[in-house]
Amino acid sequence: MTRLAAGALAICLALVAGLIVLIAARGLGYFWQSPIELFELADGTRVLGEVWNWEPRPGGAGRRVRLAVGNRDLTGADFRWIDESEILRRSRPEDAGVFERLEWGKFYGFPAQLLRGDRIAASGAEVWKEIRPLLAEKAEVRARIARLHGGEIDDVNRELERIRIELRQLRRRGLADSERTPILEAEREEYQRRYEAHLVQLRELEDELLAETLVLRAADGSLVRLPAGHAVRAVRANRLRLPQRLGLYASRLAEFLLDDPRESNTEGGIFPAIFGTVMMVFLTSLAVAPFGVLAAIYLREYARDGAFVRLVRISVNSLAGVPSIVFGVFGLGFFVYLVGGSIDQLFYPDRLPAPTFGTGGILWASLTLALLTVPVVIVSTEEGLTSVPRGVREGSFALGATKFETLRRVIVPAALPGVLTGIILAMARAAGEVAPLMIVGMVKLAPSLPIDAHFPFVHLERKFMHLGFHIYDVGFQSPNVEAVQPLVFATALLLILVVLSTNLAAILLRNRLRRKYASSGV
Amino acid sequence: MTQPRGRTSARRLWAERGAARLVGAGGLAVVASLAGILVFLLVEVAPLLGSSTLGAPSPLAGGEVGARALLVDPHRTHLAELGEDGFARLTELETGRERARRRLLDGADPSLLRGVPEDRLLIAADRAGRVRWLRVDWPLRYEGRERVVEPRLSGVEALDLELSGSELLDYALRADPDGASWVGALSSGEVAVVSIETRTNAFSGETRRQTTETRFEVDGRIGRIAIGPERRYAYAATLEGELLSWALDRPSAPERVELPGRAGALAPLLGGRSLIAGLADGRLIQYFRAPGPDGGTPLTRIREFPGLSGPVFAIAPSQRDRSFFAADRGGEIALFHSTTGQRLWSGRAPSGELFALGLAPRANALYVAGSAGTAALEVHNPHPEAGGGGFFGRIWYEDYPRPEYVWQSTGGSDEFEPKLSLVPLLVGTLKGTLYTLLLSVPLGLLGAIYVSQFMHPNLQGVVKPTVEIMASLPSVVLGFVAGLWLAPRLEAFLPGMLAMLFVLPALSIAAGSLWRALPARWTHGRHEGSELVLYLAVLVLGAAVCLELSPSVERAVFGGSVSTWLRETTGLVYDQRNAIVAGIAMGFAVIPIILSLADDALSNVPPDLSAGSLALGATRWQTVARIVLPAASPGIFAAVMIGLGRAVGETMIVLMATGNTPLLDWSAFNGFRTLSANIAVEIPEAPRGGTLYRTLFLAALVLFALTFTLNTAAELVRERLRRRFADD
Repeated sequence: MTRLAAGALAICLALVAGLIVLIAARGLGYFWQSPIELFELADGTRVLGEVWNWEPRPGGAGRRVRLAVGNRDLTGADFRWIDESEILRRSRPEDAGVFERLEWGKFYGFPAQLLRGDRIAASGAEVWKEIRPLLAEKAEVRARIARLHGGEIDDVNRELERIRIELRQLRRRGLADSERTPILEAEREEYQRRYEAHLVQLRELEDELLAETLVLRAADGSLVRLPAGHAVRAVRANRLRLPQRLGLYASRLAEFLLDDPRESNTEGGIFPAIFGTVMMVFLTSLAVAPFGVLAAIYLREYARDGAFVRLVRISVNSLAGVPSIVFGVFGLGFFVYLVGGSIDQLFYPDRLPAPTFGTGGILWASLTLALLTVPVVIVSTEEGLTSVPRGVREGSFALGATKFETLRRVIVPAALPGVLTGIILAMARAAGEVAPLMIVGMVKLAPSLPIDAHFPFVHLERKFMHLGFHIYDVGFQSPNVEAVQPLVFATALLLILVVLSTNLAAILLRNRLRRKYASSGV
Repeated sequence: MTQPRGRTSARRLWAERGAARLVGAGGLAVVASLAGILVFLLVEVAPLLGSSTLGAPSPLAGGEVGARALLVDPHRTHLAELGEDGFARLTELETGRERARRRLLDGADPSLLRGVPEDRLLIAADRAGRVRWLRVDWPLRYEGRERVVEPRLSGVEALDLELSGSELLDYALRADPDGASWVGALSSGEVAVVSIETRTNAFSGETRRQTTETRFEVDGRIGRIAIGPERRYAYAATLEGELLSWALDRPSAPERVELPGRAGALAPLLGGRSLIAGLADGRLIQYFRAPGPDGGTPLTRIREFPGLSGPVFAIAPSQRDRSFFAADRGGEIALFHSTTGQRLWSGRAPSGELFALGLAPRANALYVAGSAGTAALEVHNPHPEAGGGGFFGRIWYEDYPRPEYVWQSTGGSDEFEPKLSLVPLLVGTLKGTLYTLLLSVPLGLLGAIYVSQFMHPNLQGVVKPTVEIMASLPSVVLGFVAGLWLAPRLEAFLPGMLAMLFVLPALSIAAGSLWRALPARWTHGRHEGSELVLYLAVLVLGAAVCLELSPSVERAVFGGSVSTWLRETTGLVYDQRNAIVAGIAMGFAVIPIILSLADDALSNVPPDLSAGSLALGATRWQTVARIVLPAASPGIFAAVMIGLGRAVGETMIVLMATGNTPLLDWSAFNGFRTLSANIAVEIPEAPRGGTLYRTLFLAALVLFALTFTLNTAAELVRERLRRRFADD
C-alpha cells in the first residue's frame, strides 16, 4: 500500500509537471519560426508549408505528416496531411517565405514580382531586398490610419452622438423649438463636414496602402496579388540565422502582447484581453479589500464570540465553496438587471432602449468577483489577526492604548502579511475565473478599452475582453480550432503565469507570516 | 479590558466608538450581502412556485347579452362579438361605444355561431347549410407615442351548401390569406369538406376563388368538428365515442382512436400537434400523433386532466403557450397546462348560463359571455410550465414516443413546447462528479497519506507548493487542454490510456521493489521520500510504453478502431469529448483540494498516537491504516466532501471538455451536461423574468444549496476534529 501511495503521489506530480510543460512548450513555440519545407509528391504535386507534426496513419501502417500550408484563400484549408510513402523529395528552398497578411492568414510561397502601380519594380528573389523597408513604411501608414480612427474620427463621432442625445432630450421635454436647437443643428453640420474631411484623408491613406502590390507564387504555381499595405510581415524563413530568428521571435511576442486581435481574434495580439483582465482584477481588489478586512476585524475583534460568530464563520467558509456560476447568476440578476437597469432608468433615459449600465460591464463583473472572493480575504485576514500573539496585544493595553489604537498601531500592522495574502489570493482567483464573467460582462471582441482619453476617462459600464474568456472563445468558437491552438496555448501560458505568480507571491507572504510568529508561542 | 475612564481624552474615546461602529457596520454589511445572495436567488425563483390567478370578473359596459363568440385585439382595446341575432358588433372596451356592426346571417342557429381567435374570424351558419363569416382586423397606428388601434370588420364571405334535405349538425372553418377550409357534419351521416383557394394575380391584383367540395360517409354520427392550424388536419368526434382525424388534403380513410365519451368541445393547441377533447362528463383528454414502434405516428391518447363537474362546452387555447381554458355551461371555468397536465386554476364565472369564452391573444385576459352579460377576468399565468411535475416529472412531450425526462428549453419557433426537466442536468452533474471522484479520491487520499506519513519535511516543502500550483490552475485552461488536446489523444490512444489504470499501480509496486534492490550506497542517507524520483521515472516510462503500444494493440485486438468496436459489440457510442476526459480535467481541480485537506487532517493527528503504535511493534503501514487513518477519518471525509462540492459546481471544464448534451445515461464514453454548464450556456439568451430565466435561477439555487450544505457539513466536521485534537 505504501508503494501505491507513493505511486499516486508520483502520478499527481507528473500530471502537474506534464501539463505545465505542455502549455509552456506549445505556448512558447507559437512565436518560433520553423523552416519552410517543400514536399514533392509522387503524383507530381508540390506542397509548401511548415511541418506541424508526424503521426501514425490512422488504421494503417506507416506515418503521415501534417503540414501547415496557410493559403486559405487558395485551398480553403489550413492543414494538409501527406502520407510518408507519397513523398518523393523534401527540400528547404531559399526563396520561400511566409507572408503574414491582414486578411486570409498566412501565405506560404515565393515572391514573383513587386509592382509599383503597374510598373514592375523588382522580380524573383530581388523582391526580398525591397520588402523589408516597404513593409516598415506601410506599417507606419497603418498606424496613422489607426490614430485617425481612434483619435479625430472617434472624437467627431462622440460629438455627433452627444448632439443627437441632446436633441432627443429637448424633444422629450417639449423644448424642440427652443433657441438651443438651431445651435445644435449648426454644430452638427460643422462636425459632419469635419467627418467628411477626415474620410477623405482616410481614403488617401488607404490608397497609399494599395500603391504597391506583391505578386506571390504558391508552390503549385498559382499567383496571388497581395497589396503591400496588407502584409504584416514577410519572413524568408529558410535563410534566417539565429539572431534574426530570435529577433523575429521577439517581434512576434511583442505583437502578441501589445497589439489588437485580427481576423476575429485568431491572429494578432491579445492586448485588450490583458488590459481587461488586469483592470478587472484591480477593480475587484479595490472592492474586496476594504470590506473583507473590515468583516474579518469585526468577526475577530469586535463581535462577541458566540453562536452567531461561529455561524457566520462557518457560512463564510462554506461560501468559498459555492460554485462561481452561482455568483454569476446573482450578478446578472442583481447587478446587471436590477441595479444597472435602475441606473439606466434614472440617469440615462435618453439612451434607452440601448442599455448603458443595464448590460454586462466591467463594473458588474468586478463586483461579482468581489463577492466571490470576499470569503478568501476574510479567512486569510482572520488567520493573520489570530496569529498575532496575545502578549503583544496585552502589552499595548497595559500601556493605556484603547482598543482601536491597539488595532491600528499594533495588531493590523502585525497581521498585514495575512491581509495581503488574502488580497493576493483573491486577485489570483479573480484572474482565473471565467464562468461568472461569461454572463456579466465579457465579450468576444470589445470595440474599445474601458479606459481612454475621453471624459470621464474610466468607463465602468463598458464590456471588456478577458484572457480566460479569450481562451474559451478562440479555442472553441473559431472556424478552425486546430489552426488557432498555438495562439490559445500562448494565451493560456500567459494566464497561468499571471495566476501562478500572484499565487506564489501569496504563498511566500504567508510563509513569512508563519515563520515570524512560529517562535512566539501563540 | 475596560479602560479607566477619567484618563482617556474625549477625542480618543470618540475615535474608539466611531471605529467600533464603522467596523461593526462594515462587517455586518458584508455578512448581510453574502446572505443577500441567497435571499435574492429565492426571490427570483419564488414566482415559479406562485400559482396562476385570475382577477375578479369585471362586467363590460355596453356588451350585449347573448354573445356566442368573442374576439379581442392584442392590446385589449376592442371587443368583437357575434350575437345570437347573427350580428357582428365591434365595441370599444373602455367606453362601451359601438364602433361597427354588420349582419352576417338572418336566422342563424345560435348553436352554430363560432369564433376563431387564431384567424380572427366570426362565423354564423344555419341548419340549412348557409355559412357566412367575416374577419376582424386590428391595424395599429402610432400618433406620436400614442398607440391607436383602428379595428375593421371585413366584408362578409359566403358559402352555401347544397344539403338536399339533410341538416348541418356541426362545422369548423379556418381561413387565411391563401384560402379557407370548411368541414361540416350532416345529418345524413356524411362529412362535407370544402376547400376554398384564393389566388391573387400579381399583376392585375385580381383575386380568383376556387371552391372544391368533397363528401364522404363515416361510420357513426358526428357531434363535434375541429380543424388544426395551417389547415393540415381535421378532427371529428362521434357520439359513439370515437375520435376521427384525417389530413385535409387526403380526406378519405380517417384515422380512428377511442374517445371515452361524447365530446362537447374539440380544440387544437398552439403548434397544432395536440388536440384537447372536452367530454360531456366533464373530462378533458389530450391527443397527439406520437411516433409509434412501427415508424408510423398514430393519433394517441396522451393524458387526462382533472376535469370539470359539468359537461365541457367550450375550450379556449392560449396563443402563447400550451395552456387552455375550459368551461361548462353552469359557469365553472378552469385553466390547464397541457405539458404538465396540471390544473392551474379553477373558479366560477359570474352568475347564469355561459355562452362563450374568449381568450385575449396575449393570454392576459379571459372574456366570458353569458346570460348575465359579458365580463373580463384578468389572467396572471406567467409560468405555466413550472412546478414539481414540470421540473422533475417524466413527461410525454409532443413528438416523443413515450414520457421522458428532457431538457430542451428553446426551439426554432414560438410554437415550440419548452421541455424543462432538470433531471437530465442533475444526472449529468452526478455523472461528472462520479467520474471525477473515481479518479481523484484514490489519487488524492493516497497522495496525502504518503506526503504526511512517509515524507521528510524538507521534501514536503517541495511537494506542497506543487500541489498548490495544481490547485490554482484556472479551470478554463484545464478545460481547454482537456477538450482540445487530451480528447483527440484519448480517442487515438484509448487502449493505452485504459491500460494505464492497471499498469501504473503495478509499476508502482515494482518501483518499490526496485528501490529496495538498489545498492545501499545510493539510497542510504537520503531523505525519506526521495524514492519518489524513481517512481516518477518508472511511471512516466510505463505510461510512454503504454501509449507507444496502443496503436498496435488497437489494430490487433479491436480491428483498428476502438470506437467502432465499442459500438458494434456493446452498442455504446464513443464521443470524443466524454466523461473520462471531463473526469481527468476536473481531477486536476479536485485532487489538490482532497490532497491538501486530507494532508492537513492526517498531519494533525497527534504524533504520540503513531509513536505508541510503532513502539508496540506495528509496521509503518499498520500504524497508518489502524491508528492514523481512523483518527483522521472525519477530516478525510470532510476533504472528500469539499472536493465533491467543487466537482458539482465546476463550470468551465464541463463546458469545454464534454459535448454538453443533456443525456440521461451513465456511460463513460459520452458526454453530459451539468446544471452549472447549462446555466452558463443558456442564461445569456434567457429573457429576464421569463420561465427559462427563473428556472436557471432555480438551478443556481439547487447548486448553491447542494454545495453550501456539503461544505458546511465538512466545516463542522473539521472544526470538531480540530477541537478534539487540541484538547488531547
